[in-house]
Amino acid sequence: MDSPIKILQDKNSYLDLRKQERVTLLEVLDRALEKGVVISGDIVISVADVDLVYLGLKVLLSSVETMERLRGAPITGPMQEPT
Amino acid sequence: MKIYTYAIIDSNSGMDEPIRGLGEASVYNIPYHDIGIVVSDLDPQVQIKTKESILKHEEVVERLMDRFTVLPMRLYTVFSGKEEMLLKVKDYYEDFIENLDRVRNKAEFGIKVIWTGNIIKERISNAYKNESPAHLTQSGTKFMKEKFEKYKIDKEFEEEADRCSAIVDGFFNRLASEKKLEKLKTDNLLLSASYLVDKEKKDDFKKAFEELRSSGGDLKYLLSGPWPPYNFIILSHSGDGKVGGMDISDKAFQHKDMEGNEGRGE
Repeated sequence: MDSPIKILQDKNSYLDLRKQERVTLLEVLDRALEKGVVISGDIVISVADVDLVYLGLKVLLSSVETMERLRGAPITGPMQEPT
Repeated sequence: MKIYTYAIIDSNSGMDEPIRGLGEASVYNIPYHDIGIVVSDLDPQVQIKTKESILKHEEVVERLMDRFTVLPMRLYTVFSGKEEMLLKVKDYYEDFIENLDRVRNKAEFGIKVIWTGNIIKERISNAYKNESPAHLTQSGTKFMKEKFEKYKIDKEFEEEADRCSAIVDGFFNRLASEKKLEKLKTDNLLLSASYLVDKEKKDDFKKAFEELRSSGGDLKYLLSGPWPPYNFIILSHSGDGKVGGMDISDKAFQHKDMEGNEGRGE
């Protein structure tokens, strides 16, 4: 198998296996639920799945921000003021 | 027996190594002219809406990606049998050939950029509040002014997002043959981008990400990949009135817009 990057935040931090699996799952959902080859068939996607993607994004944001906090980087600073 | 589909591949030969799919069923290739549809039989007892099944779908597609050019199927695409599926494949055959050519030797990479959008919006909002003139007593005038202020705040917020997104995109644009950028899916998710990248440029793409990471600032980044090209499948042919594939929605802003926004930011 091609050596996967899969999830890379930066060289100084990494996602532990459990978090990586969760983020990977969310990234897969983000793609495979809505995208890819869509030809009719018995496609069993419900509103609940769409909600899952939305929730997934929120969890994703949360987990990335948690990682930042764990590695001690500033997480709450606003963007630089535009000059 | 129903069949679960994983991907269209550019081969009509059998699998050269055993692959297990959903419910540990054998994965096999159903040929159609010079392409194939990779499937497994779906036991009705198998729960397909589980974390394990979702990851299994992805694992099968990625294993195929190592050997073939693949068009990944959307999750949960199930047919009642081979004949029903082949009728659909017949409708879309030309599209599949075109897509296989477009994505050959390429993979999708994802970039997510998170910013403190809520704080930025608050800052913009406060700036407008400070600018406000004397208290307005007429309710109609006050209502209109508040509406206009909200419009200006949203517009400025979006312009800031466009400017930052264009900067991020500048790191990756030259390495990609195609891209799809979605801005502000949520206030804090500044950019969700997918790039279609030649496999030979994979390392360059990683380097570009490292350069972006080390460029400073308070943005947070997530790189993921290589993925099957989920975001770059375009099915123009509508066999039964349905059009599938790449979603060019209002949210997705295209290259031309990016250039314009970049110009405004300078």
